[in-house]
This record gives sequence, structure tokens and C-alpha cells, in this order.
Amino acid sequence: MSQSNLEFTFEGQKITAISGQSVGAALLAANQRILRKTRFNENERGLFCGIGVCFDCLVVVDGVGNQRACLIEVKSGMRVQRQVGSDA
Amino acid sequence: MHNVVIVGAGPAGLSAAIAAAAAGAPVLLIDNNPRLGGQYWRLASDAVGEQGGQHYDLATGLMLINAVKARKEITVLSGAQIWSATHKDGINTLRVIQNGVEKIINTANLVLCTGAYDRTLPFPGWDIPGVMTPGGLQSLLKGHGVLAGKRVVVAGSGPFLLPVAAGVIKAGGEVVELLEANKSNRWLLSPFVMLENIAKLKEAFYYIKTISQAKVRDRFSSAVVAAYKNSEGILESVDVAKISRNFKIKKVRNVKCDVAAVGWGFTADTSIAGALGCSQIVAKDGGVVVKTDENQQSSIAGIFVAGEITGIGGAELSMAEGVIAGISAAQFVGCKVEVLKAHRKRRAKKQRFADALIKSYPVKAGWITWLNEQTLICRCEEVSTQDLKQAISELGATDSRTAKLLTRCGMGLCQGRICGRSVVDLVASELNISPTDTDRISAANRPIISPIPLGVLAAGE
Repeated sequence: MSQSNLEFTFEGQKITAISGQSVGAALLAANQRILRKTRFNENERGLFCGIGVCFDCLVVVDGVGNQRACLIEVKSGMRVQRQVGSDA
Repeated sequence: MHNVVIVGAGPAGLSAAIAAAAAGAPVLLIDNNPRLGGQYWRLASDAVGEQGGQHYDLATGLMLINAVKARKEITVLSGAQIWSATHKDGINTLRVIQNGVEKIINTANLVLCTGAYDRTLPFPGWDIPGVMTPGGLQSLLKGHGVLAGKRVVVAGSGPFLLPVAAGVIKAGGEVVELLEANKSNRWLLSPFVMLENIAKLKEAFYYIKTISQAKVRDRFSSAVVAAYKNSEGILESVDVAKISRNFKIKKVRNVKCDVAAVGWGFTADTSIAGALGCSQIVAKDGGVVVKTDENQQSSIAGIFVAGEITGIGGAELSMAEGVIAGISAAQFVGCKVEVLKAHRKRRAKKQRFADALIKSYPVKAGWITWLNEQTLICRCEEVSTQDLKQAISELGATDSRTAKLLTRCGMGLCQGRICGRSVVDLVASELNISPTDTDRISAANRPIISPIPLGVLAAGE
């Protein structure tokens, strides 16, 4: 079976992942389900379509906002944060 | 000889690539995923490892993928996102971003196999983390080895719910409920087509066996009609309703779960074809698809289309269409090759099955009664049912386009991919009219195929 072989941070907290996993998948595996808060109502959002269509899983990766967690592959040492509002 | 340029490496695109290469044409295969196979044969990375039991027919997928990799006539561009596509004087220009660098591809011929994504319907609480599409749940299992939650409700309509529920069980999760909105015996509407495609019934029984062995509570004429969150903002439970033939709520009970995967069939991703100017039509299920002729050619000479973007029909129909599109494209660039009668026969058989399924799993208008005033319709721009109704009753919108401009419904980052179809239905229902094909086609078209950072553009110029 597969092994965790990468480490990155989410909101400053260490998360382990497997090479080839998306940020969204690795976060879900770590039971991190809230990926962002919306611009107007500040509602929680997470993975929805899972394949890059809906743009609901937007996170900030190494300071760059509007990244789709479902598409972006985890890299060792990545700093991922929840996106609050429209951008970082 | 010119390249045959193919977009999308799912069942249709892989089949087209092999057919064109076999005919002697050099092929450029562009795909936005890191690995070949599309959504249907979504493969995990080597480190994650193949996920046992998540694929019914992986052997066919691996055969096609390996054939594409082995053929020296085929060049693959993976992880490549097309953000713009234009057609002028017989030349198609694709702007592709791969690893942050833009490439421009000019080609007279093109095979579009861009697939489909889950069709969703809005309902109260559908924006809560934990509510997701069945396709999303499956892609996490197939591609990443991650089960989205322990207690899963799978709901909506269509045969795709079966492999999704079976996949959850195989991965060690619990399917708390499996809910099909339509009646159980609807596939009997087309008995001869079902017998003709007996292999597909075998596939269905394969999933049903897994589901019944796990003693899953499965219900027909039932749907998830509301979702609720806990104090942290995460999904806690859903309302499950017994519904009428027309999807009106009859009786509701609450079910605790941490994932609700709700989907209503699929919507074709016609973005690139639409941007190029290919004629689109409204299919029997109300979805917008690309118009084709018997050789899989679109309304524009040299642009061929295959797979789900010509009508939702599953992997086997996609493969049958892909072969014909690949041969036609090879012919277009000068290869001496012809579409055979056998190819057309195979496509016709799969098409009959696809038509039967669409007839068996309709989405009825009663879903609109599940909404309340606060229910979000557009998730991106946070536009509610009330906002949309106001645009009609107070601001005088008389069509979905105007309602969209007034409310920004469908003008967010997803460009209406998620809500477009529902908005058309809602606006028409509010005005007590039937949506026109023009409304539906206009809602399916978008100027930019995929939003990209401006920095990439600046660097490319």
C-alpha cells in the first residue's frame, strides 16, 4: 500500500501526502475539509467537483491565490493557506 | 503531412489518436491532466499506486494508454491547459499553457474530445463542505487513493451512481444511503436495447453485487433535498425525501453523514468547440452538445468531435466515435483511409444504449420546489434564488441572459459551468415559459476557456 512521502503545511500545520496527490486530496485525507471562505457571506467551501470545473476549492499556495486545490499537485515544503475572499 | 491535433486523452481522444496514427498521420495529443486516461480511466500516480476495485475495465484503458505511448507517430502534451481557441480562415489557433509557459498551436484540423463533468442541481446547503459531485468523489478514489469521508450518501440520478457507491464500499467506506430519484424499473422502457447491450447490464450487476453485499440501504424515487452543517461549518446531515414522479417532495427524514455525493448525469464540456464557432444543439436531456455529421465532423470543416461533447453516452460510445473521428481527421490531412461500415454499426449500437439511458433517467422540473429564497444558485458569485427572482419580478428580466447580467449569476470563475443549466430552467420556470434552445446554448458558451494568471500572458507576449 502507498506511503506518505511528502510534507507540506496548511495554515501552518504539518500535513503528510503522497507524491502525485493533489493538495485537495491530501487535505481531505488529513480531514481538512474547509479550503476557503467566500467573499460576500464568508461561507465555508471545500472540494466540490474535484476535477477543476467549479473553482470552489481555491487556496493560496506559497502566497499565490486562486489555485485550485483539486488540480495542483502537492510539492514538498509547499505552504498552503485558506483563501479568504477573492484573493490572498 | 500535417499533424492531426487531438484535444483530450480520455476514451474518445485515445481512440482517435490510435486510429489516426494507424492511418499514418502524425498526431499531437493535448491533455490537461498529468496522466493519460481522462476522467474514466483516471490513474493514480506511481507513488499512490493503483486503487483496487475502482475501475471496471481498466484493461481496455491501459491497452489504449500503452498503445498511445508506444506509437512514435503520437506526441503527447500532458498537463497542458488550453485557455483560448479561435478559428479564422480555416486555421484553428490554440493557446496552451504547460508548466507556466504558453505555446501557440496553429492547425487546420482538430479532433475535440473534451468530455463532460457532473451535472449538479442547487438545493439548500449544497455549498457546504462535504457536499460534492459523485465524479469528484470518484476522482479522489481513482486518482489520489483518498476516500472523502466515512459515512457517505450517494444520490441523484443515473447509472453512474452505482460505480461511485461500489467504489466507496471497496475503499472501506460506508454508503449510508444510495438514492435514485427515478423509479426502479425505468430501464425496462427499452428492453431490446438493453438485451443488445448485455455487457453493460453485466457491468451494472457487478456494481449491484458489491452494493448489496454491503447491505446498503438503496431507495428509488428518493433524493437529497437539503444539507446541514455543524458549528464548524462542515456537513453534518442531509434531508432525504421521498419524491413524486415529477420530483416534488412527499416525505422527509434526516440522515447523518459526512459526505453527500449528489449528481444528475453529466454536462458536456463544449467550451473549446463553442469558442471555435462549432454549431451546438440541445440534446434530449436538455444539455448542450456539439453538432456532428456521420464522420464526426462538426459544422466547421476540419474540426472533428467525439465522445461526451457530442452527447452523453459513456466510455464505449466515446471510443466508437473516437475511432471514426481519428480516421476522418487522418483522411482530412491526406491519409488514404476510410471509415468502415463496422465502425458505424458499433457506434449506432452504443448510441441506442445511450439514448435508452437518457430516457430512463430524466431530471424532472420539480427540483425547483426544493429551493428556498436563500438557496445559492451561483456558488461563485453567491447569488441566491431570491436575487434571481428579484431580477425578474422587480428589474424586468425576461430571459436568462438578462437575469445573468443583472445578478452576476454565472459570471464568476467557473463561468456558469456549474449553474448555467439550472439558471436557464429557473428563469423560465419563474416566467412560466419553456427555455429556448438559444437560451440553453448561450448559457453554455464562454469567452475564456480557462482563467489564467495575467503574468503568464505578459510573459508570453
